[in-house]
Amino acid sequence: MPGSEPMLGARDIHRHFEGMHAVDGVSIEVMPGRITGLIGPNGAGKSTYLAVLAGTLPASSGSIVFQGEDITRLPAYQRARRGLVRTFQLPSEFGQLTVLENLLVAAPDNRGESLLGALLGKRYWMPDETRLVAQARSLLKRFGLLPKESDYAAMLSGGQKRLVEIMRALMLRPRLLLLDEPMSGVHPSIVNEIAGYLEQLRDDGLTILMVEHELHMVDRLCDPVIVMAQGKVIGQGSMAALRRQPEVVEAYLVG
Amino acid sequence: MNTYYAANLLIFAGVDIIACLALNLQFGVSGVVNFSFIVFQAAGAYAAAVLSMPPDTAPDYSFQIYVGGYQLPFPLPWIGGAVAGGLLALPIGLVVLRRLRADYQAIALLVTSIIANTVINNARPVLNGAAGLVLVPQPLDGVVNTNTNSYQYLYIGLTAICVAIVWFVAARIVNSPYGRTLRAMRENELAASALGKNPTALKMVIFIVGGAIAGLSGAILVGFLQVWAPSTWLYPETIILFAAVIVGGRGNNVGAILGALLVPLGFEEVTRLLGRMNIGPPTLIPAVEWVCIGLLILGFLWFRPKGVVPEQRRVFPGAPAVEDETRWVVGKRAR
Repeated sequence: MPGSEPMLGARDIHRHFEGMHAVDGVSIEVMPGRITGLIGPNGAGKSTYLAVLAGTLPASSGSIVFQGEDITRLPAYQRARRGLVRTFQLPSEFGQLTVLENLLVAAPDNRGESLLGALLGKRYWMPDETRLVAQARSLLKRFGLLPKESDYAAMLSGGQKRLVEIMRALMLRPRLLLLDEPMSGVHPSIVNEIAGYLEQLRDDGLTILMVEHELHMVDRLCDPVIVMAQGKVIGQGSMAALRRQPEVVEAYLVG
Repeated sequence: MNTYYAANLLIFAGVDIIACLALNLQFGVSGVVNFSFIVFQAAGAYAAAVLSMPPDTAPDYSFQIYVGGYQLPFPLPWIGGAVAGGLLALPIGLVVLRRLRADYQAIALLVTSIIANTVINNARPVLNGAAGLVLVPQPLDGVVNTNTNSYQYLYIGLTAICVAIVWFVAARIVNSPYGRTLRAMRENELAASALGKNPTALKMVIFIVGGAIAGLSGAILVGFLQVWAPSTWLYPETIILFAAVIVGGRGNNVGAILGALLVPLGFEEVTRLLGRMNIGPPTLIPAVEWVCIGLLILGFLWFRPKGVVPEQRRVFPGAPAVEDETRWVVGKRAR
């Protein structure tokens, strides 16, 4: 449910690449229970910003607070364990693992996932495995991919890979999901399907921050929307309000 | 075929199988391109040697210079060999596996292998330099008569026990959720880290486990050969093991064993037989061997990248039936 305390607050984030300011002092707040959109022209720094929030790229400067904890210096895997999970702009499925295995990998609490646990054998970890298989299958069923569970993830279509990535992230029971262009490279018929799933997740109480180019999807899903251009935030609010801001229209919404 | 030849063949097979299972855990399952693999085998061999030899001041050994010389009873030198391989993995892993990108890791490990060999080759006081160590006592020397046929069988048996232990460890790892996480890291390290996996820690552990198993293989080898020198662990030896894992099937333990029997052992035997036939100048056969290994790697990567026995696809009980797109798969596919 929408609350008043931000789930994530990032202050004055900078990220430089060899003197190029990809992200140049961006502060945002992500409110719980909403889908916050992050839009802007190519090269605006959206994906870089998302990567800095997730920890897959370190910030050059700035601070990030997630659920009251300063996570600025934590590596990506520790942020993920705290419930801040990202997906990628390019398909990043584990290709030579089956769809079901892709989901199982992400589950955080399997006794067989340490060297010692593995050596102790099936009897030691099978109860966890059985529970997680059931959990993964219920997700697969919800997202309509149950018949594909034994397929190698590399064999899936672009849209199905997106769904696998989202399900994989959900296996971690995230508090905040960072989606980097979940509709890109996806057949138009599946775009609507993905949008429907995201609405369901939002209604379940999941908080989402998504970078997206498909404006009609941003219209449908995202409130509020943050507009970036050249490494800076140039506007935020509802899409309707943004359409009335000349600098936003000029930078992005024209054409 | 005499007993010694049979023992030679079987023990080399065992050593190669153990080494390939270890390399498969690192390269095949986890995607760690350990081009310094042979260094860990060498570390185990040297450690087992100096743990079982008398000090270099002993009358029969005074023509060599080396550290240690503890005359420890079997099986302590073999255990020591495994420990040495594991311990060596710690500093190398901490330097190489933490910050470098995967392709640079491979280069750094290759360079490590060359440096290690050059240093040991030239620093005589440590492990007798280029001349290497000789007169390494055989396991149970003094307890049983090592000059009998039955000792050869005993050695084969000890090797077989080690193969069984390593197989057990490798199988449990590969078939567990832990192994699945390693495979996920191999497929996409960044995505794995975004799902809460710590790639550095995962790589370090498998680097140490593989190093220890490699060390054990070296200990078994040195106890049989009774000699160990830098010329036996030049970096191309690692390439042969890579060829074995690629031919056998990356990520599959059965493939690793098959690769060990086909490539290192098979080539060794074929070149030995051809060598007897006096074809061309004496350097021809070894040179052709290297050409063949190169072609073998290229051929498999090009035409059959998954190897003779591809990695198994995991199908879970209760899954809907699927068409299998992999052809001539050996062994059962589902578990």
